[in-house]
Amino acid sequence: MSATCEFQAKDYKSDLKPIWCPGCGDYSVVQGIYRALAAVGRPPHEVAFISGIGCSSRIPGYTTAYGFNTVHGRALPIAQGIKLANPDLLVLAAGGDGDGFSIGGGHIAHLIRRNIDITYIVMDNQIYGLTKGQLSPTSQKGRTTCTSPYGSLENPVNPLLYVLAYGAGFVAQASPTDLAGMAATLEEAIRYPGFAFVNVQSPCVTYGEEAQQIKGLKAISENLSAIGHNPADRLAAMDLAQHYGEKLHLGVFYKNPEPPPTYDALIRERQAQLSQGALPKERILDLFIKK
Amino acid sequence: MAARIDFASLSLMDALDLAVLIEDEAKERYEEFAAQMDQHRTPEAARFFRLMAVNEAKHGQELADRRSQLFGGVTPTVTRAMVFEVEAPDYDQARAFMSPRQAMKAALASEVKAHAFFVAALPALKDAKVRALFEELRDEEVQHQALVKAELAKLPPDSGLSDDDFVDEPTAQ
Ligand SMILES: Cc1ncc(C[n+]2csc(CCOP(=O)(O)OP(=O)(O)O)c2C)c(N)n1
Ligand code: SF4
Ligand SMILES: [Mg+2]
Repeated sequence: MSATCEFQAKDYKSDLKPIWCPGCGDYSVVQGIYRALAAVGRPPHEVAFISGIGCSSRIPGYTTAYGFNTVHGRALPIAQGIKLANPDLLVLAAGGDGDGFSIGGGHIAHLIRRNIDITYIVMDNQIYGLTKGQLSPTSQKGRTTCTSPYGSLENPVNPLLYVLAYGAGFVAQASPTDLAGMAATLEEAIRYPGFAFVNVQSPCVTYGEEAQQIKGLKAISENLSAIGHNPADRLAAMDLAQHYGEKLHLGVFYKNPEPPPTYDALIRERQAQLSQGALPKERILDLFIKK
Repeated sequence: MAARIDFASLSLMDALDLAVLIEDEAKERYEEFAAQMDQHRTPEAARFFRLMAVNEAKHGQELADRRSQLFGGVTPTVTRAMVFEVEAPDYDQARAFMSPRQAMKAALASEVKAHAFFVAALPALKDAKVRALFEELRDEEVQHQALVKAELAKLPPDSGLSDDDFVDEPTAQ
């Protein structure tokens, strides 16, 4: 048996002590991220971790990567800007279901269609945790909260179908019910060359429902590889993704076997093409001189 | 991908290293739990989790000493990346304002979990010395369970009320 690993999970753990409620699923998520980053082996200073606002969005602070706890719903555009400004960085974005699919929902489609090479981790707890338990876009119909005291009349968003429909090249789901599986899935997502999405069912122990706690999640979980799902089959992935909310499928739903070029690769290509016919720096002002 | 433990090929040195890493993970988790309890003004549970962290560290050190006596400074081949919450309590076991009883029950569940790990691994082991070590570790988990049960027995009798009844409802609900 041999295992050489340059980085260990602890190298990605910051000194900041998490202030999440004890028992919150996000503790496992950050563990999974430490382990995935260690397996990928990029040094912390080459990693940028961007989040929005929410309990889950505190996560970059608990890592030694460069971090930016930005504005509610705006993790993705900022992560995109960072990736384009410095394509050599490994860029992670993270946040909650509210951050990603409510206020920030409009951004996802654009990162997917551009195929920005980042990994987006949503800690889906079907509630607004930070603001104390309001209805979120993934809350189940009928759910009573302080903003739906008689039960929600809305159908939830299906995050998996949403990103699959827009054409994301890597779509997976994980949960603290299986930490080893979560670390492996996050690692695979990070290694995927293009936009990768991981929905993590991360229980909110303070405002979440009983069925969404670890015991309830375990009861409905099923490993995608164990049921023989082929992650190259996008339609089969969409079929399985329809069961979001009733079944907890863990693992990779879809991984494009032939990843298309990323946006930053295309930009570099375009820059290289245009630079051939470009004026040298010292003659750049000629562009503004009328002939 | 993090390498999984290949029990069939474990040498005694690997097995001792693995045992040290398992204790190390548990120690860190108990320290984390203690910090969570400090953060949430739950000092009795924090004290108990610190005690567990010290115990795990002590046990880990004994195993590490044994390893260095037998194998000196030979580079380990097993890593922490192979260890997933073997003896460390799952994060889900912690709760804000948990009582000492709940904290002890969480520790007890972890000792039971660790015992199950060693029991499940035994059939796959090929090396007789590794088997003997795993049997020893398995039996130690039973002793650890007894220690936690003894701590539980020192508590005043259970009121029968749920600890949750003493916690304020989240404000917005
Ligand atoms: C522009 C803006 N609108 C609203 C808020 C209030 N706000 C903060 S976090 C949050 C929702 C948090 O829910 P989620 O994104 O699911 O994260 P969680 O706390 O559940 O991890 C809201 C509405 C804000 N900070 N900024
Ligand atoms: S309110 Fe919920 S999501 Fe926020 S830290 Fe507490 S358990 Fe986690
Ligand atoms: Mg949420």
